[in-house]
Order: sequence, then C-alpha cells, then structure tokens
Amino acid sequence: MLRYFARRLGQAAIIVAFVAVISFVLIHIAPGDPFSAVMDNPNVSEVVRQTLRAQYGLDKPLAEQFVRYIGAVAKGDLGWSFSHDRPVLEVLGSALPNTLLLMVIALVGSFALGILIALIQVAKRGTATDHALSGLTLFLFSMPDFWLAILALLAFTYWMPLFPVGGAVDPSMHEYMGLGARIVDRLRHLVLPALTLTVLAAGGVARYQRAALLDVLPADYIRTARLKGLTERQILRRHALRNALLPIISLIGLSFPALLTGAFFIEKIFAWPGMGLAVVSAISSRDYPLVVGGVIIGSIMVTLGSLLADLLYAWADPRLRGH
Amino acid sequence: MATMKHARLLCVLALLACTGSDSTSAKSTGGTLTISTGGDPDVLIPSLVSVVQAAQMTDMIYDRLADIGDDLNIVNDAGFKPHLADHWTWAPDSLSIAFHINPRAKWHDGQRVTSSDVRFTFQSTMDSTLGTPVAALLANIDSVTTPDSATAAFWFHRRIPQQFYDATYQMPIMPEHIWKGIAPSAWRASDAAKHPIGSGRFKFVRWTPRASVELVADTANYYGAPKLSRVVWSIAPDFNAAVTRFLAGETDFFEALRPENIPEVAKHPELATKSFHGLNYQFAQFNLRDPANHARPHPLFGDRELRRALTMAVDRVSIVRSAYDSLALPSIGPTVRAYPTTDPNLAQIPFDLPRAKALLDSLGWRDANGDGVREKKGRPLEFTLDVPGTSKVRVRMAVLMQEQLRQAGVKVNVEQLDFPVLSERERKRTFDAVINAWNTQPSPGAVRGSWGTAGSRASSGNNYGSYESPVFDAYVDSALASFDPAARKALFTKAYNTIIQDAPAIWLAETVPTVGYNKRLELAPLRSDAWWAHIPEWSIRTP
Repeated sequence: MLRYFARRLGQAAIIVAFVAVISFVLIHIAPGDPFSAVMDNPNVSEVVRQTLRAQYGLDKPLAEQFVRYIGAVAKGDLGWSFSHDRPVLEVLGSALPNTLLLMVIALVGSFALGILIALIQVAKRGTATDHALSGLTLFLFSMPDFWLAILALLAFTYWMPLFPVGGAVDPSMHEYMGLGARIVDRLRHLVLPALTLTVLAAGGVARYQRAALLDVLPADYIRTARLKGLTERQILRRHALRNALLPIISLIGLSFPALLTGAFFIEKIFAWPGMGLAVVSAISSRDYPLVVGGVIIGSIMVTLGSLLADLLYAWADPRLRGH
Repeated sequence: MATMKHARLLCVLALLACTGSDSTSAKSTGGTLTISTGGDPDVLIPSLVSVVQAAQMTDMIYDRLADIGDDLNIVNDAGFKPHLADHWTWAPDSLSIAFHINPRAKWHDGQRVTSSDVRFTFQSTMDSTLGTPVAALLANIDSVTTPDSATAAFWFHRRIPQQFYDATYQMPIMPEHIWKGIAPSAWRASDAAKHPIGSGRFKFVRWTPRASVELVADTANYYGAPKLSRVVWSIAPDFNAAVTRFLAGETDFFEALRPENIPEVAKHPELATKSFHGLNYQFAQFNLRDPANHARPHPLFGDRELRRALTMAVDRVSIVRSAYDSLALPSIGPTVRAYPTTDPNLAQIPFDLPRAKALLDSLGWRDANGDGVREKKGRPLEFTLDVPGTSKVRVRMAVLMQEQLRQAGVKVNVEQLDFPVLSERERKRTFDAVINAWNTQPSPGAVRGSWGTAGSRASSGNNYGSYESPVFDAYVDSALASFDPAARKALFTKAYNTIIQDAPAIWLAETVPTVGYNKRLELAPLRSDAWWAHIPEWSIRTP
C-alpha cells in the first residue's frame, strides 16, 4: 500500500510539473502585456516602459524567465503578482480557503444528495417519480454552471430576496458585528454559491449511482436477501448500496476538476473571493505569475483529489490492495 | 451660573469657528454610503493608479493644492477652488506660482502638512524609477522650491494657459515622512501603499481584496468633516452581480448603468438615476498605414475619399440609439461636449447612402461580379473590424456597422478580441480598423497625442491609425497656446472641422454616464471628469 501511495505521489508530481511548464509557456506566448493599462497611456515614456518591464524581470528572454521561475518555485516561491502587488502565495493563500470551503461543501453535499435521489429512483423504479427525477438529474447534469448561477442569483436575491447578492460577508457591516452575527452573516453568504455548486454536481452523481444500483440488483446476493424476507428498503440500504458505492468512489476523483472549474464560474458570478476569481481576473490582466501559480495550485488539488479517491477505492476494495 | 453657560457657549462657538473651513463646513449627517463597483483598485498611490476605482478612493484620501471647477476650465486659475493651499500668488512674469499651505492641514496620522511634502511629491513623481505616466504631464514644471514650511513655489519652463492646472490637477500631495525612506521603485509593493495616509476628508480603514474597501470620515479634517460617516466600495467583478446588489438594495449607488438596467431601476420607487456629460468618446478608427508595411499607405484607408464614403454610409444616430438607447449621443469628433472649448454643433459628414454609393462608384469601386461586394482591380472592398469582445455595446455597434456597410457593397469582417490582444494589435498597428474609445482628461490637449502627428510617429504614441495633418496639428497647438477662451474655442473648432472632414475615423458615440442611486442619498453635482469629486458633500436624508 505504501509503495502504491509513493508511486501515485510521484506520478502526481510529474503531472503538476508538466502542467506548470505548459501553463507558463502558453500564458507568456499569448498576445498582450501585463501592463496594457499603463502601456496604452500616451504619457508613458519608453524609459518608463523599460523600467517597469525590468522591475518585473520581463525584459529577460523567455527561457531565462522560465529557469528563474522554476528555480523560485522549487524553493516554494510562486513569484510576485503584478496586479495585486503582493506575493502570489499570499494572494492565493487568502483565496484558497474560500475555494476549498465551497468545494468541500459541494463535494459532500452533491454526493449525499445524488445518492439519496438515486435511492429514491431505484426504490420507485419505473414510476412517474423515477421518470421525473431522471429528467431533473439530466437537466442539472447538462446545465451550464454560469446559467444556473445567474438564475439562482436573480431568483433568491432579487425576485425573492432571501440571501445576499454575493461576496463572502456583508462589506459594510461584517467588521462591526459580534461573533454570532459574523458566523450567521458568513453562512448567509455561503448558502447560494454552495447550493448552486452542490445541485449542479448532484445531477451527475445521481445518474451514476442509479446506474450502479441497477447493476447490482440482479446479483445473486440480492436475490438471496429477498428470499430471506428482507424488505426492499433493507435490501437497497444494506446490500445494494454498499456494493454500488465502489464506482462512486472513482467519481469522487473525477469530480475534482469539474468542481474546481465550476467553482471558478460560481466565484465570479457570486463575487466569492476565492482562487477562481483571482485567477480569472489575472488571465485578463496578463498577471503571469498569478495565472501559473493558480494553475499549479489547482493541479495539485486535482491530482491530490484523484489520489485520495484511488486510495479510498483501494481501501474499500480489498482485491486492489495487493496491486 | 448664567455667565458660565454663556462662557461655555462662547467657547463652543470659538472652537467651531476654528475647526470649520470657510466654504465647506457642513454639519455631518452621518451614515454609510455603499457603492457597488466592478473591481478592486490597482494601487492606492495617486500617481500610479490606472483603474477608476483607485482614482475614486485616492481622491477621497489625498488632497490637491486646488480643485478644478465643475466647468472644467483649465486656463489660468479661473474656477479653481482653494483646497490644501488656502491661497496662491502668481509671480509678475507668471513663471512661478507660490502656493500657501493651509496652516490647519494635517495628515491622518496627526503630522502637519508642509511645503516639503509638496516638493517631495513633485520630485518623486518625476523619478523615472517610479514609472508614472503623470511625469510626462508635469514636463513644464522645472522645480518646486520651499521658501518656508508653509509655501511651495512652482517654477515653470514656459508660460502656458494650463500651467496652474498642471500643478494642481495632476498631483495630489503625499506625505514625505511616510514615503521618503522607500525607493520609488518599491512603492507599489510597500506596506505604506496598503495603508495609505493622506490629508483628505476620508481616512483609509481597510481593503479586503476582491471584497471591499472602506474609508471613514476624518471628523477633524482642516477642510471640514464630510457629511457622511463612511464610504464602502462593495466589489463584485461580475456586472450582473454588481447591478443586482444595487437593485436589491444592498448598495446605495451604482456608477455604470447600462441601457437594459434603466427600466429595472424605474420599477423601484426608492431608486433614481442621474446622467451627466462624460469625457468618453468612441469611434471606429481606420489604419491609414498598411498593417504589413507601415512605410506604405493602407491599400483602402490611405484614400481620404474612400474613408469619407464609408463614413457617409454609416447611420451613426441609429447605431448609437440601438446600442445605447438614451445613454449616449452621437459623437461629434475627437472631443466631448463637456469641454468649454467644444462647439456642440460641429459640422459632420452626413449619413447619405445614395451619395456614399455614388462616391464609391466614382472611385472605381464597383460590384462587377454581382456578389454584393464592390471590387477595384480585382481587390474586394473588404476589411476586418476589430472590437473588444468584453464590450457588449461595442460588439453591437460593430455588427450594426457591418450591416449598414454591407448595404453600400462593403464587406466587413467583425473580429472580437480579448482586450490585451486588441491592445497589442493597436500598439503594433497591425489592424485594418478598430472600434476604440478614449477616456479623456479635463484638458482637450490629449487630442494632440491621440490624433496628432507626434502621436503617430513616436514609437510609444497612441495615434494608432497614423492620421497625420499639419493643418490639424497647427490649429491644436495654437488653441492650446491661447489664453483667450473664445479664441481657444474657435481654433479647436477649426482643428475638429479639419479632422472630421479627413475622416480618419467614424465618430460613433459619446457616452452619457448614468448613475443609479438610492433616493435617501442627497447628491451634489456630478463632475464630468470625476462623478465622485463631491462625495464629501453628499448626505443621507433622515426620514
């Protein structure tokens, strides 16, 4: 198991390094300039332009910039954000907890909700409820993230003003609230982005889980359970669900990239101050270090998520432990 | 007892007389103004700001020696109001101005504002390692000297109409004691930039990136306490989220309403809108040089008559109405109506499709093969129109132009580009035509850089279309050198007439900035260059 873990960790490191190289090269060869706003100003002299470029090391050849960057990353330094005038680690460090919070809630919530929907569907298979839920999960699965997010924003903040319009806290009052009120304020702001991401991911989970449950229902041990006189509910919960959870564990690993990109969209629309918001605005302002830093952190999250899912799978299925 | 009461009253009155400013003292009504905005400030150092949010905040935190008037006059000191300087004295030859610092002026950390702060601000702005575009605008200032701690004397190279404006508008004063130990190249990244100390009527409290910026009233300010207690900018990078925050009542003010938002605002009795003349104009600019070889004229747009024919084929009024509804007017040239030097009735090349077609025919552009596109010597009358994909209205204007020019037998390929890509194409001048916009300053002199020969030939110039006209240049230079307002206006009118008839661009829209606000706010006038300039005078109505 330890060797398996070490091997997977090595693979993850190679993937992250590869992603870092690709993103560094792509963002640097993309047309545009990190100082577009300044460079467009007719009052900026050539001397000032060169000074700015030199200050950020952009006057060096790309290969040299790359070697310097990799050297810094090896020492744990992701560079300096041009647009935030702060170290990239500091920018992402303040944003990462918000993104992780969204992702963890969405991951747990979507799997819980998806499995519940699948159980109801299988228990009532062939009925109108099953068909309606199938339609609903297909709708959620195929819906673009940003569309549902905008709809939720309008529905629950404007037409029915139940929740605040984005942000992580009340911008004018949060700092002046007591501890209890601060927690409530934070939760109120969390509900819509977390719920949107949860609902979006739950559709896919429900469809996978329903298929997995239907796969195990014809099995001999289910027939035996029925012959023993167990109720359909007991059969589903004790026997079918446990065995049908294995493919769902794989889905956890596969969900990480989708959740991360989903979180990026959700963060922009709900002004949730997470990593996605920082990286998306960094792309348009050509903040090279922040973009590459964000991609590196994102790829670490995704590869670690996949690794975690593989380990869970190995733990859940004893047949794989030896491989 | 009665005597003691009178004595107390006299003391209070005396204190009030000492602390209030003559012109601006106002009773604070308190309350928080929350502004919905679309992005973070870039940096809270006045000379380095390049986004509007940062300008709004630094204008609240820092003071200028004098404030420009609402009429945006920039000739001499007419209309300017004393601020950090309570008065000023011109030298007999007008080559220097001595500003006398208000003796009550203090920085937010309690230290006195002195003339050496003014000198330090000028010297650091001119330091090339700071990398500020403001330095170029101060080129006419030779030096700043400090005869005493309360007097800062500006010395100029030449006597020009806008020398007072240059000395005051471009340079909010910064505290020397905070910044002198930091190399200008390190200012952006310094802690001082994260916690700015100014002398303005609002003090910095906090900046939570991607969330909010908060300022609080400086109740002991030498210029008088502002009427509001706090100003908070609530940041939402998504436009829909930002406007929904305003419509849902979470914020009091939204600065950039779009046409589609106006009916929505009207549904809320507690909300209102207010429009004013802005300093932004938009145009479809032709590249007059060949993108492949800048030494040659553009195969299409090098021809003045062709450019005029294309301009004639475009119905600018209907384009502006379709794209902006009532939130823009047809542009009248490379200028805006808010300038006192602009004649709003400048003669335009009129929309006349039959005449445009006839002119194209006479130039030899005819549709010989019947495919709907004119040709000349085998070359179709076809070009690419670049437009920033992030601007919905500019894309809409490009599509409408495409359709109108199609009716004249011209094929336009609209290409939507990421802004940095578009910007790079403009700088390298590798485009055919582009829909661009300029946000100008109170001085109409910026036209020299964006449309003059110098701006065309300089490698860093922003006359991207390379329009060059000695006649236009001469009129602009003469106008800028004139002290007589009527003569300035007449000369600028001649300059604008010249460029309009040469048609280096199709002048599309002059935006009419429209803000949305909660009616509980009592707004002061919104100044064309900075709607936020009078925020310290805004108040909240008590029910």
